Amino acid sequence: MDLFITIALVVLLFALLGSGVWIGLTLLGVAWIGMELFTSRPVGDAMAVTMWGSLSSWTLTALPLFVWMGEILFRTRLSQDMFRGLAPWLQRVPGRLLHANIVGCTIFAAVSGSSAATCATIGKMTLPELARRGYPEDMTLATLAGAGTLGLMIPPSIIMIVYGVTAEVSITRLFIAGVIPGLMLAALFMAYTMVWSLAHPGRIPPPDAPMSFARKVHASRHLIPVVTLIAAVLGSIYVGIATATEAAALGVVGALVLSAVQGSLSRRVFVESLMGATRLYCMIALILAGAAFLTLSMGYIGLPRRLAEFITGFGLAPFWLLFWLLVFYMVLGCFLDGISMVVLTMGVILPTIQRAGIDLIWFGIFIVMAVEMAQITPPVGFNLFVLQGMTKRQVPWIAKVTLPFFLIMAAAVGLIYFFPAIVTWLPARIS
Amino acid sequence: QTKWDMPTPYPATNFHTENVVQFAADIDKATGGKVKITVHAGASLFKAPEIKRAVQGGQAQAGEILISGYANEDPVFGIDSVPFLATSYPDAKRLWTASRKAIEERFAKQGMVVLYAVPWPPQGIYSTKPLASIADMKGLKMRAYNPATSRIAELAGAQAVTIQAAELAQAMATGAVNANITSGATGYDTKAWEVVKNYYDTQAWLPKNVVFVNKKAFDALDKASQDAVLKAAADAEARGWKVSEEKTAWYLAELRKNGMNVVPPSAQLKADFQKVGATMTEEWLKSAGADGKAIVDAFNKK
Amino acid sequence: MRKALDLLYDAAAWAAAFFMVGILAMVLASVVGRLAGFNLRGSDAYAGYCMAAVSFLALAHTLKRGDHIRVTVFLDRFGPRVRHALELWCHGVGAFFCAALAVFSVRLAWQSHAFNDVSQGNDATPLWIPQLAMAAGAIVLAVAMADDLVLAARGRKRDAPKDAGAPAAIE
Ligand code: NA
Ligand code: NA
Repeated sequence: MDLFITIALVVLLFALLGSGVWIGLTLLGVAWIGMELFTSRPVGDAMAVTMWGSLSSWTLTALPLFVWMGEILFRTRLSQDMFRGLAPWLQRVPGRLLHANIVGCTIFAAVSGSSAATCATIGKMTLPELARRGYPEDMTLATLAGAGTLGLMIPPSIIMIVYGVTAEVSITRLFIAGVIPGLMLAALFMAYTMVWSLAHPGRIPPPDAPMSFARKVHASRHLIPVVTLIAAVLGSIYVGIATATEAAALGVVGALVLSAVQGSLSRRVFVESLMGATRLYCMIALILAGAAFLTLSMGYIGLPRRLAEFITGFGLAPFWLLFWLLVFYMVLGCFLDGISMVVLTMGVILPTIQRAGIDLIWFGIFIVMAVEMAQITPPVGFNLFVLQGMTKRQVPWIAKVTLPFFLIMAAAVGLIYFFPAIVTWLPARIS
Repeated sequence: QTKWDMPTPYPATNFHTENVVQFAADIDKATGGKVKITVHAGASLFKAPEIKRAVQGGQAQAGEILISGYANEDPVFGIDSVPFLATSYPDAKRLWTASRKAIEERFAKQGMVVLYAVPWPPQGIYSTKPLASIADMKGLKMRAYNPATSRIAELAGAQAVTIQAAELAQAMATGAVNANITSGATGYDTKAWEVVKNYYDTQAWLPKNVVFVNKKAFDALDKASQDAVLKAAADAEARGWKVSEEKTAWYLAELRKNGMNVVPPSAQLKADFQKVGATMTEEWLKSAGADGKAIVDAFNKK
Repeated sequence: MRKALDLLYDAAAWAAAFFMVGILAMVLASVVGRLAGFNLRGSDAYAGYCMAAVSFLALAHTLKRGDHIRVTVFLDRFGPRVRHALELWCHGVGAFFCAALAVFSVRLAWQSHAFNDVSQGNDATPLWIPQLAMAAGAIVLAVAMADDLVLAARGRKRDAPKDAGAPAAIE
């Protein structure tokens, strides 16, 4: 029966998506039809309550604000400046400015708790500039989609808050535990970008004329505005002025101030950024609402829960338990967003994890990695959606070019399994 | 066979959830598998604020809520959170007995049946600064998540601060918040010792979770199954009160073990808070009208 | 008729933009409030309501601008006749679910009123009030989708999204 339901829903999902129905409405449609066919509960009312609940929840407030911040920065000279400051230092590094995506996402991840916000904000700044300079679009989007997921791993992180509350582990420790794996992922992404660039020398635009060290330092003054903005937002979190969610509002104010200082803030720029952000967020919101409803539908049908029970029922040794869980989350991650995956399955899985003697902090990082991978797998991958929304490239294509980054993350899961100290060392040091 | 969905707000390991799971299992057993309840713990089906209306609207058949969350809807739902009215388990029990009828009537009017209620351990104050009297709370930033906690902060001279529960630990660590009222249980679950040193066991009130069911769903059961549900509910209530009380001391011991300074409030602090409690009881009586007065009178009769 | 419809979408979009500023204002209020020692009761809840209002009120405008994403790679492989049929199918499916969303969003607000569903936070807002924005936005979206269905039936080509903000240079 479960197999039949699964196949029916997957076929339906692909049919609707493939025929060109809007992604948010497809999720809504699959949820609706699934609930209508496989449960006896009233569909419409449940849908409305859930959509309202998900779109009015405080956990989301940072997302529209960060999207707006990105739209403002995109209309200032800030991104050109950032590249002018970075370029001299990256001349010798294979891949050159492609690393701006990865470094930018890593730094911004320390400000934002979601991968969609990281992807949208950094993408708004880097995509036009990288295209203008002639960087290949496939790697530009792939590095952005991949590194954007760091928003979840590097603290603050919404998904860690959700996991921490569900698993009753310390959110502070989870945050600390995410730092090294996050930096490790960034390093792996950069390493891959370098290898790729060495293998495809013709595809990276030629370097600028070499510069003396002093000139490089002088060119770095262009970085001051970006660094100031990020430091101010990040600082506001750590000195206790704002919480991780509220920091986004300071980001918007900071971006407005910066663009005013630069003289690029006009009424027109303000309105354009506002309307642009409203539309981009609205697009994401419709998909989020559809995903929330699909999650509810799955909760009623009981599919993820029964699959999780199925896996945990075998009494597997830790390695195989984690292996099959990773496979399970990969499959689930194709169709559900990260938070839903955690909420729907933790109740069943956590007791087994505890019984197997697996450290819950470590498992939290494992889950975050699985969720990160889910952000870039089609058909339901939020980073893919954000990038399609910003570039008009299609999800299947973006997913295809991002595949290497997916594989890197899979390898990273292997690394934290064989070297758990990557996760556990730092939290054990602090506090 | 009847299948019910039962959304609950707290994680699977919480003692309330464990009690609900046992309750569902008891019903399954007593009805010979005729009534199957799927417990969706940890707000995995509906989020906490949506559970009551989901049951009311028939999207779920049973649910569990923190009843005082509904004080905005009707002051009577907030009776168990009037500070310093009922501060011990026996008192809380008497207050529940005195208020049960009024709460049941309100649920009945909305098409729902109250099955049972189980309290949380008593509420105390977590503070980053030592508190000898209420004067020490002056200017302290205290988390206030609803009108009642805002009023406490106001009467204590503290500054009410808006912060989400999930971000509280961070906020306390950075000093954005200095104080918070909640139970030893929540402090243990959130590992409060990592960010705050003092816990004043003021025993201000014992908030309750109420478990309830949609009346149409309940009426659709045959008499034997209905009886089985009510019997299981009575058992769950007895069990829940016992566990809650037993766990109270254990939670405080755990806080202590992790290096927190867990102390009863000084005589001065206690007296100051009694005053706050008296003011708030009066205010509550004013807003809750005749029903409220009847409950408090019945409670005070002993 | 055309003018009236476009005005409707634009008006909803402006309202959405207004609420976007509202999110910012509400979040700033809690930050500044903590520092300056005042508490705007329920600012967190108001931010949430503003966010829901942005999400729903902008739906139609975003649809009209072609900013709601869809997978069209397969669509583009077919000839004009099949593509036309598929466009009708998509808009038909879209119109159906948008209509359902509109109906049940109205019902949500109506039920919240009937149930007396009140926010549990400091704001104590009767929830039907912010839910009106959701209902209004969902209705406007349903109208826009029906509008597009009619346009598609009359054979209008799928509009290529033009957004001043999109990095159009990337191709
Ligand atoms: Na982050
Ligand atoms: Na995915």
